[in-house]
Formats: sequence, C-alpha cells, structure tokens
Amino acid sequence: MSPYNLLPRFKAQYDANNQEFSISGVVRPQAIDELGPSLALLRDAIGRVRGVLYVNVRRLTQMNNAAFHAFSRIIIDACRARPDLRFVVITSSVVGWTSRKFGRLSGIEPNITVEEYDSEFYPGQGFLEEGGFVPILRTQTKMTWRHERTILPRHGMRPGIVMADICCGLGDFVVLVQKEFQPSRIVALDHSISSLDYARRVMREFDIRGIEYTYGDASEMLLDEAQFDLVTCRHSLQIFNRPELILKELYRICKPGGRVYITNEKNSHCLGEPRAESIRWTYNEVAKLFAHFEMDVELGPKSRRYLIEAGFEDIRVETFMVTNLDGDPQDFADVIVAWADVYAGDMATRRGDGPEFIARFRQGFQDHIFAALHPKGYAGWPIWVASGRRPQ
Amino acid sequence: MLMGSVHHEPAGEPTFEAMIQIDMEIKTFVSAWKHCDYVSTYMARMISQNRSDSVRHSNLFSSAFNELLEVAFRTRHTDGELACRVSRHGATDRIELTFPCVPEERQFYQEAVSQVAGFEARERYLNSVSGDLAPSREVVLLELAVDYNATLRVEEAEGDAVKLVVDLPLEGLQH
Repeated sequence: MSPYNLLPRFKAQYDANNQEFSISGVVRPQAIDELGPSLALLRDAIGRVRGVLYVNVRRLTQMNNAAFHAFSRIIIDACRARPDLRFVVITSSVVGWTSRKFGRLSGIEPNITVEEYDSEFYPGQGFLEEGGFVPILRTQTKMTWRHERTILPRHGMRPGIVMADICCGLGDFVVLVQKEFQPSRIVALDHSISSLDYARRVMREFDIRGIEYTYGDASEMLLDEAQFDLVTCRHSLQIFNRPELILKELYRICKPGGRVYITNEKNSHCLGEPRAESIRWTYNEVAKLFAHFEMDVELGPKSRRYLIEAGFEDIRVETFMVTNLDGDPQDFADVIVAWADVYAGDMATRRGDGPEFIARFRQGFQDHIFAALHPKGYAGWPIWVASGRRPQ
Repeated sequence: MLMGSVHHEPAGEPTFEAMIQIDMEIKTFVSAWKHCDYVSTYMARMISQNRSDSVRHSNLFSSAFNELLEVAFRTRHTDGELACRVSRHGATDRIELTFPCVPEERQFYQEAVSQVAGFEARERYLNSVSGDLAPSREVVLLELAVDYNATLRVEEAEGDAVKLVVDLPLEGLQH
C-alpha cells in the first residue's frame, strides 16, 4: 500500500497527564486551514497547563515551513502572553532536521527549550555497549550463526527477499545473511552510532555492498510501513524495558504475509557440567540483575505470547543450544569471561552488591568456563527463536 | 527520467554526476499540491540508497527539496515545463529546479538568493519565524541556507523560466 493513501498523514494529540502535546507523521499542508483542528488543540492545551508544556515532535517525519510557522507562532505568542509558562520541545536525533529547525525557537524565546531525545532510548543498555564488548558480540554471532543459518529458512529467509535487521548492532549478522542467502535488499538499523560506524567500516574494508545501515530508534522508526518480507530482531527485545513497543514497530514495517523473526534468551537456563549447582545459582542471579535494570533476559519462552499479542499469526517457536562443542570451546569460554566482567563488574557494582555476593556471583561464571574447557565437560547457552506472520 | 550519465560543469567547477531527473508539465504539477510531496519523497529515496545512512539522508533531502518544490508550485506562470535534476559531487547533492515564471518573479528570485548569501541570513530567518506573516518564498530559501547549510544560486534558463541551483551538503549534516 502506498503511504500516500494513508490519510490523514499526521496526528496531533494532547496528553493531559503528562502535559504533552505531540504531533507525528507528515505535515505538509498547502494552506494553514488544513491544520485548524491541530492548531486549536495546541491552543487549548496551552490554556489548560501550568508550569511546562511538553511539545513532542519525536515522530514528526516531515513538516513544511508553512506548518512549522503556524505551530511556532502559537508557542511564541504564548511565551509572550504567559511568561510563567515554559515549553520543552522534544525532538529526535533520528529525524535530522527537527533539532535544527525547532532548535531555532530557543533563540527567539528563552522560555522555549529544545531537548533531543536520544540517550534515554534504552535504559540500561549502556552496560552492553561500552568499549571492550565488540569482539565478544562478534564471537556470539559466530556461535549462534552455526545454528541460525539452518533455522532461518524455516522462518521466511530466502534469496531475493527485502529484509530489515532491527537493532543490528555491529552488523555482522546481516553480513553473514547476505553471503548465505543473498536478499535483494537489507536495511540494518541500530541506535548506536559507534556500532554503525564499525559496521560501515567493515562494509568498506570487505567491499560489501547492498546493506544500508541506518541510525534509528527501534520503537519509533523512520522506515515506511509494510515494506519488508522479513524483519529480524535478535537478542534485543530482552533488553528493552517495553518490548511490546518494538514489536509494534516490527509489525508495522513488515509486509502483510511477511514474517518477523526474534531471538531471545532465558539466562537462568544456562547450564554446565561439572559444577552445575554453582552455575545455576549464578545465572538465576543474572536474570534478577537484569530485571533490576528493567531488562528481561528470561524473555525467550515468552516470545510466543508477545508475538500473539502483537497481532501475528502462524507463530513458530524453536530453541537451540549454543555449546562448548560448537567449534572452539575457547570461544565459549571467552564469551563467559566477557559476561562475568560486565555482570559481576559494572552492573553488580551499580546495583550496590557487596563483595561477598560478587565473589559468589563471579564464581558461577568461572565454573561455567571450567565446564566449557573441561575435557569431559559440557556448557550450554540456550536461545529461543520465534517468528510470526503479519496477517494479509 | 535520467540516471547514471555524467554532466560536465564549466572549468573550475567540480564535476557533478547526474543521478536522476524528472520533467513534467507545470500545469500537471500545479494541479495537485501533493505532487510536491510525491516528487520530493520519490527522488529522495532514489538518490539516498548509497549514502552512509540512506533513511536519514532521504528524510533530510526530502525535507529540503519539498520546500523548493512548494516554491515552484506557487509560480504565476502556467505554461512550460518543470524540470528537477539531482546530481552529486562527493558529499554534496545538487538540485537544479527549472520552472516557468514571469519576469518579475525571476527578478525576485535573483534578489532573494543574493540576500541568502548575506551574513545576517540567520537573523532574518529568526525574525521571520517570530513574525506574523506566513513564510514567504524568500524565507523558504533562507531556511535552506540556515538549517541545511545549502548554497543557492540562480542560473539563466531558456524562455520564461528560472533555474534555482541548490547545493546540499547533507552527508556533513549527519549526526
């Protein structure tokens, strides 16, 4: 369906609880009359609020100068009529022009401030994106790819499709997908500029073509609706505090009849022999630690429910276990070392855990490594794969 | 539509490689306002595929280009052709928009573009935002310079027409 058929193409709303006026979509009127109800809503909101009015333009993808002027005039007039009132305009760094254009308003009226919504996209994820985690993320992808390359065709992957990988991170998954399955187009989105820089550098160095890396917020994407045959989102719903918002967006950009493919963990089910008890205790604690930071690393088995509730049909769920027997056991051990550094390091410290707890917590990781490298040992990391079809 | 040919500039000018061109009767173009949106969105998508961030680039380009098309839409001359050509040199995309206009309008664009280059462009743009009047065509051109770092010039066009040439260094605006 053409986006031009979706009228009206913009929406204005006022949320009295949050004192927030929001406008989203494409606002390109020929005449200001076309904005009448939205302008009236803004005036009405201004009349009702005290203190501060938030003007949310995070999902405003386009606004022509005529519309910008009309909305700005109302805000500027209100600043002059009511010096007690402050306006906070919330823009998105994803929509390149909004911060520049709305940013001018603060130069006109000091009571208008413009804040770029960005760093608070995903609470808690900073732990997983800092510095030294890059090699480990690549190793993880290498380990999971051994399984996913045979699983993906059962979930809609095939040559020639148009696909998107949302929360693509370093982009190594889409590079593997491109080599193995040759989709006709791949769009890979992530909110981490440093990860995208890395992905683009790899693309240049290895002369990889056909992958479009784009910066964006997975819960509010600039991508048009219904354009992808397959949308993948791996190991990411579990580290968002509101996974249902992401799923709603994955559904939106997926073509009717296309599929959304998600992978997630259930960390408490990580296992190993020998020293099973210590390992089990630590990974139960991992789940609690992530929950403290509003991330659900137990999400894997909940995937089916999430997909059904998001409106998908023909849900397919399967699991696989990454183990020390997949390739080099040292790879498995290296991943656990990195987990221990972050989980028993920065995260535990920030939660306020004491040295006794941290020592026991760390021991479970060491025992997992011991199991992985033991000549008779077995160490596992289970992953849940699920996909659903967007109804026709 | 023209894609992929090379357009050589006069000596001293960098070579801009032609990427896409859309021509249409001005009568057809001005028959519906949504044509501005259609054309800007379509061309933005076409030329952004191989930019470092195609989605972001497309959004920015469409935003700037739509304003130019809205300027052309308001022409008072109703005969002739609208030609939109986009070419590229490195990080800069060049829009060449040729459209029919009456002689007074051509004069107006020449003056407006010469003022855009002035150092007080930003001040004049801010004054217009806080002013009572709806944004004029001059303000639209100013905004391209202020918010998109665009450089603008007017070139001779055949017959009763004007050619606006706008260079947009959007790759540099990313993040």
